Amino acid sequence: MNDASRQARSPSDRARQVETRAKAMGHIVLNVILAILFIFLFLRAGSLPSSVWEPLGSGTFPRMVLAALVLFNGLIIATETRHFIAMPALPAKALSDWCYQHRLAFGVLGLFALFVLAVPIVGFRWASLPFLVTCQYLLGARHLRGILIAIAVALVMSFGIEALFRDVFTISLPRGLWN
Amino acid sequence: MEAFLSGADQLFNLPTLLTMLVGVIAGVIAAAIPGFTITMAIVLTLPLTFTMPPLQGVATMLAVYIGGYTGGMISAALLGIPGTPSAVATTFDAFPMARKGEPGRALALGVWASFFGTLISSVVLIIAAPPLAMIAVKLGSWEYFSLVIFALTIVASLVGSSMVRGLMAGMLGLLIATVGADPLMGVTRFTFDIPLLAAGVPFLVVLIGIFAVSQLLQEVENPEQIKQGKALISSNIDFHPLAVMREVLMQPINLLRSSLVGVFIGAVPGAGGSIANLLAYDQAKKGSRTPEAFGEGCSEGVVASESGNSATSGGGLIPLIALGIPGSAVDAVLMASLMVHGIGIGPRLILDHADTVYGMFMAMFLASAMMLIVCLLSMRLFLKVTNVPKSIIVPVVLTSCVVGTFTLNNRVTDIYLLLGIGIFGYVLTKLDYPLAPLVLGVILGPIAETNLRRALMTNEDWTLFFTRPVSLMLLMLAGVSIIMAIRYRIKHQRRTTALE
Repeated sequence: MNDASRQARSPSDRARQVETRAKAMGHIVLNVILAILFIFLFLRAGSLPSSVWEPLGSGTFPRMVLAALVLFNGLIIATETRHFIAMPALPAKALSDWCYQHRLAFGVLGLFALFVLAVPIVGFRWASLPFLVTCQYLLGARHLRGILIAIAVALVMSFGIEALFRDVFTISLPRGLWN
Repeated sequence: MEAFLSGADQLFNLPTLLTMLVGVIAGVIAAAIPGFTITMAIVLTLPLTFTMPPLQGVATMLAVYIGGYTGGMISAALLGIPGTPSAVATTFDAFPMARKGEPGRALALGVWASFFGTLISSVVLIIAAPPLAMIAVKLGSWEYFSLVIFALTIVASLVGSSMVRGLMAGMLGLLIATVGADPLMGVTRFTFDIPLLAAGVPFLVVLIGIFAVSQLLQEVENPEQIKQGKALISSNIDFHPLAVMREVLMQPINLLRSSLVGVFIGAVPGAGGSIANLLAYDQAKKGSRTPEAFGEGCSEGVVASESGNSATSGGGLIPLIALGIPGSAVDAVLMASLMVHGIGIGPRLILDHADTVYGMFMAMFLASAMMLIVCLLSMRLFLKVTNVPKSIIVPVVLTSCVVGTFTLNNRVTDIYLLLGIGIFGYVLTKLDYPLAPLVLGVILGPIAETNLRRALMTNEDWTLFFTRPVSLMLLMLAGVSIIMAIRYRIKHQRRTTALE
């Protein structure tokens, strides 16, 4: 047991420590990944062509930004490593508990991703209709009245919106591969 | 006087008043839907104005324009998602205010601030159009770059709990803006031959992805609340517009300062409402006696953002009317509608078509009055949105985001980008990175790079940034802005430490 865990007197203190350590880990992972990406882009920007007409080429501005970003990545990693070390280890099930707590957000995100990927294939109407019904079902429209409302909302937002854009605004929303 | 009366005669007739009313309503509704912008609403209105007399067409489009600036704050206040880029700063205080059980106050503050902001900008437009336009168009690349540096100092006020994370978010925005074709040479950067990135990352896709998707995912994080069928705001909703009007008028300095910021930014070609709202908010925070209340549902923040963005409508018309230079995409469409009717745009506009110009001035006042009446009458209807369960709101808004994103450029790849940016925004939110600096970076990045390179292309001497008077003044303002932000931060930290 390190100093921090000994100082955690109440359950809320303990929860705060767990959150700090988890976030520190998140920051470190994110910033390491980003730093690698930014260094790669920095090198890549060096090979962008320059012009005889201007002292700054295409790559100069991005390189200035990327250099600053790598510096900030380094600062964040250094700060968060200190936090990570100072806090007690995470409980064994911390990650799975967090994922379970956020299950609805991940569910909605998953459905949204399927919707977006389906739009060019089946068209806006047939991609949005199941998305709207399933998403409302996932978020609590479980009884007959709720399901009927969900279907009505889905029809308006899929077929209705498509018709509005086609007939009023003369904008064609994606129709899919078979239309 | 004759031209004034002729303009009034063309404006105050039933068909023009009716099309203006429809324009205001259409602007409010279009901008209230996340993903739909004022520019889109104006562009869709343009073909409908071809058959109208010139002033009726322009007045209708001005009505859409003014309605749109107010409509953007409806979803900003009620959902925490800016309906348009000009309502980003409105989310900072209007949304927390709505969450605390005062959505009616948040909306009424926004409506009144927008109304007064438009009025102030219209007065400035009438009085100062020619001299202000001359100043605005004399700004060279050095001044533009210094103006962007000044605007970037806003980041220091938007960083939230960590300065480094805020600065990094701002830099990330600048980096995102560099993807795609280089603004001067056309060389593609960081696209890696991926069709998805070929056209760059459109600013509006970033705005919708960062704010809408991440905000909506946060709304469904608590399974217990969702199970109970909770609405976005579960308390009773009060709406007292007259009391709120007094509250807005009790902040004359904030209102005037924010409106003048909006007018100036609107008058500078290429800037516009998306910068004005943030700059006005930043100045209001720095000038406030209670800066610590900003971000917690402070009325000063809502008034500053909304009066600032609405005032750009009058500001944008200054270079258009005085010199024939459109300050933004919306002004360019307005210009097109006049040209379709054979009205030549340029410095002689006010001499050759004085009746049309006076009519436009009057249309600004009339449209803002119509906006006020429409919004005050319909706000109770909009407030009902807050009673709709999250199970309906979340998928419906996500779908409208997809529609809005696609219709921006008619590109399916943009909706893939929306998904990717939404996920990235959610990760950043979970790790407490502020999102506003990132959006600001994306807005300012291309302007900064273009003007820096153009300035050095014209003259390689770096000292010109410090020797040209307007550029130097803007850089000094940027310095003062940073010092004030640091001073506030130290004071705030000392107070927090003392309380602990």
